[in-house]
Amino acid sequence: MRIMNAKIGPAVAKIGEWFDRRLQLAAPIREAAEHPVPRKTASWFYVFGSAALTVFLLQVVTGILLALIYVPSAGQAWSSLQALNHDVALGWFIRAMHGWGSNFMVAIVLIHMVQVFLFGAYKFPRELTWIIGVFLLLMTLGMAFSGQVLRFDQDAYWGLGIGASISSRVPIIGPAAVKLLLGGPIIAGATLSRFFALHVFVIPGMLIAFVGLHLLMVLKLGINEWPMPGRIVKRATYEREYHELTKQDGAPFVPYAIWKDMFFTAFIILAIAACAFYFGPFGPTGQPDPTIIQTAPKPDYFFLWLYALLSLLPPSMETPFLLIAPVLVILALILLPFLSGEGEKSWKRRPIAVLTVLLIAITLGTFTRLAQFAPWSPHMNAWSGDPVPDRFVHGTTALQRQGALVFQFKQCRNCHSLGNTGGQRGPALDSVAVRLTHDQLIRQVIQGGGNMPAYGNNLSPAETTALVAFLETLHPAGQSPARDAARDIALGDSSQKTSGGPRRDKR
Amino acid sequence: MSTKTVLVPSSDATISRRGFFMKLGILFNGFAALVLAVPVVGFLLSSITRGRGNSYLAWVPLGRIDEFPEGQTRLATFRNLNVMPTDGKTVDTACWVRRVAGETFQVFAINCAHLGCPVRWFPQSGLFMCPCHGGAYYRDGARASGPPERGLFQYPYKVENGLISIQAGELPTPGAAIASLTGEKPPCAS
Amino acid sequence: MNRFRSLGTAAVLSLLLSACSSTPPGQPQKDAEPVAPSQVMKFTTLYAQNCSGCHGAQGRGGAAIALADPVYLAIVDQASVRKVIANGVHGTTMPGFAESAGGMLTDKQVDAITSGIFSNWVRKGILDGSNPPSYAAKTAANAANGKLAYRTYCASCHGPEGEGGRKGSAITNDSFLALVSDQGLRTIVITGRPELGAPDWRGNVPGKPMTDQEITDVVAWLASRRVQNPGQPYSASNYAQP
Repeated sequence: MRIMNAKIGPAVAKIGEWFDRRLQLAAPIREAAEHPVPRKTASWFYVFGSAALTVFLLQVVTGILLALIYVPSAGQAWSSLQALNHDVALGWFIRAMHGWGSNFMVAIVLIHMVQVFLFGAYKFPRELTWIIGVFLLLMTLGMAFSGQVLRFDQDAYWGLGIGASISSRVPIIGPAAVKLLLGGPIIAGATLSRFFALHVFVIPGMLIAFVGLHLLMVLKLGINEWPMPGRIVKRATYEREYHELTKQDGAPFVPYAIWKDMFFTAFIILAIAACAFYFGPFGPTGQPDPTIIQTAPKPDYFFLWLYALLSLLPPSMETPFLLIAPVLVILALILLPFLSGEGEKSWKRRPIAVLTVLLIAITLGTFTRLAQFAPWSPHMNAWSGDPVPDRFVHGTTALQRQGALVFQFKQCRNCHSLGNTGGQRGPALDSVAVRLTHDQLIRQVIQGGGNMPAYGNNLSPAETTALVAFLETLHPAGQSPARDAARDIALGDSSQKTSGGPRRDKR
Repeated sequence: MSTKTVLVPSSDATISRRGFFMKLGILFNGFAALVLAVPVVGFLLSSITRGRGNSYLAWVPLGRIDEFPEGQTRLATFRNLNVMPTDGKTVDTACWVRRVAGETFQVFAINCAHLGCPVRWFPQSGLFMCPCHGGAYYRDGARASGPPERGLFQYPYKVENGLISIQAGELPTPGAAIASLTGEKPPCAS
Repeated sequence: MNRFRSLGTAAVLSLLLSACSSTPPGQPQKDAEPVAPSQVMKFTTLYAQNCSGCHGAQGRGGAAIALADPVYLAIVDQASVRKVIANGVHGTTMPGFAESAGGMLTDKQVDAITSGIFSNWVRKGILDGSNPPSYAAKTAANAANGKLAYRTYCASCHGPEGEGGRKGSAITNDSFLALVSDQGLRTIVITGRPELGAPDWRGNVPGKPMTDQEITDVVAWLASRRVQNPGQPYSASNYAQP
């Protein structure tokens, strides 16, 4: 063994020397690897940037592998994905790695950004590093959206329609922007081809260039020191102070700090592989056939908050919000290092920064959670598929049961739930009789209101009577239905015994 | 290296030979870039010009009118006239045809006027409902509730020899109405 | 150290083995792929999406009659059921599901539902020897005789005039009669609503099943109680002083 080493060692060194004489890279690489970093930055908080880079490289590799099979044609993309899922050995796993990798990448980029923001790392002299980071975030989101389009299924098709509808609202150039986005007047083959070009050539190319710049600046400017409360950043003195800090209390990046990056990176890759192994690839859902209209498209995880927002904004505010808010957010992110380029770095002395992060995180989290149920979407099959719970059928009169049938038949169930099944767009009606009197129920179904369509043109008097008779039975056992006191006085107590009669104990 | 070849910026008035050629080179390259840019930009923007021979304004047949019972709304599908070999199934589009009476029709785009999701017609309640954000429309396409700011898009139609045809070749989007206000040619569905 | 290594090797090996031997949990299954809605032919899926809203889960009955009622399936024929599924019953709350009637189901899907109902829920020989009445009325009806038959078989629960009684609810209510077809009335008179406790044609008076003619007449009498403008919520009759 030792003899071998003695023989091979000098040989390897010789070959290395030969290459380095021509490449001249060893010295700059060693310099970069061993550049001193402040000792405290060798922290588990500083691992997200390198993890994002690794996941990006993983995406490049898995992406190239997928491109070996994938066909970027609207006619064949879907079946090529099916082939990847079923026919190509381990094709499903590579798809799953790529899909989960994209989720992880967006998450890690966001976490990295929050960490940089809270540690004040965007302050002088690292403003440009931050700005390029903002562009990297936008490109990551662009990759996420275009990647969702390449998984050319129903969700992708209608997602493109949503993208087109949003861009059409830009004043003046809107319609032109739609055609530029779709590559023509409709969503078709050209649309997928251009998203393929974006996802595979344009955005990754820009990403590689920007990641390079981002890394170069990290190396040249040094890793942000651990923020200490009270240590104030000043343009005049910061660079000297940082230099002194790395001199007095510095350590070489390799191996002093890098081992944590390596551990975390390996952990993330294993986590992605585990998710891919256990949960599998995303979709594809149904075929991208626009004549199949029985579909409820939903965006991928990272755009769910937008889906919620688009449902919850008042209609009049939607277009201004869609057009102005993104511009404002991006501007704010870009201007941030110029507005607070100096001063305190530690999050312990920056309460507004912490609150901002919390507010944004809670808002996005809430919207995402809401979008998972989508309470604003009618359930298209509820009227014919969700049974009326037995407790609302047993002990009803023939008329009340007819009312329950009218309730289903007129698709009321698509928006109103009974016994927790059915749509959630309107209020649940399990106890509606407690809230509304007979007359109020009639008025509500005939005239609608409160975001409910008017059914007056679509309900015969008999249907209305039956429906209201059924709705009047919907109250909890212990609570009596609402009564109109004025009518009780005018017509006597039993006057509200309507044509349907009260709820009975027996059929 | 002799001292003669060292470029000494003499005075502002005179231009050295190398400086002149450098400027000429830049100019020449600028010209080449311009020559290159015209086809590149033209190619990129070709999707905006109402492309493929403007055939999307042509009439697309939906079927015989007796396939559509009076007073009812039925799903019809049509094939877009601009077909490229890679389009697959995406060139087939659905629309809702309401035969009001006789030869009076309303042809609604399948796309919700909010963000383009496919609306479903429910004859029992006389409503179109959208599965995405909960828009609803009455049988005549007027907005009933939800986020849409307008009624359903309608395609222009004509009835000839018992055949109904529509002008459809463009994805109807909510911004198109704004564009027609600014004097641009109105799109297919409005 | 040695033990540690062997343990690690065993762990890695078992992980690899579990990855190779059985299908990984994330691997997509071929039959789990989404099917275009018009290609769905599985009865349970079609029933759950289109029928259970009114007829109850697994045909157990809901607001509308139970389709898994073997008595009902013994008197009705497949062609009638198919026609109702495809075209609905005009004027009632049974919609037409076939594309030709403005619904969303293809002819094949309507066939699948029809045959599924019968193949899943028919119980052969359940009415052997009970001489069941025909599904549709075959003879001429007489409403006056129907009233007499009503008194005999129905009034004890539904009240002397069908206004409802101790055990049965009002069945001559104008809105109710406006929303149910004659055939619908006939079906319920024959099959009852077993899941709600209403007996079939044999059980109204113990030991004395209704004859086909009596059923026809009772339905005619009920139909004769329909009014011109049903369901007027503020008509005086609804607010008669006690």
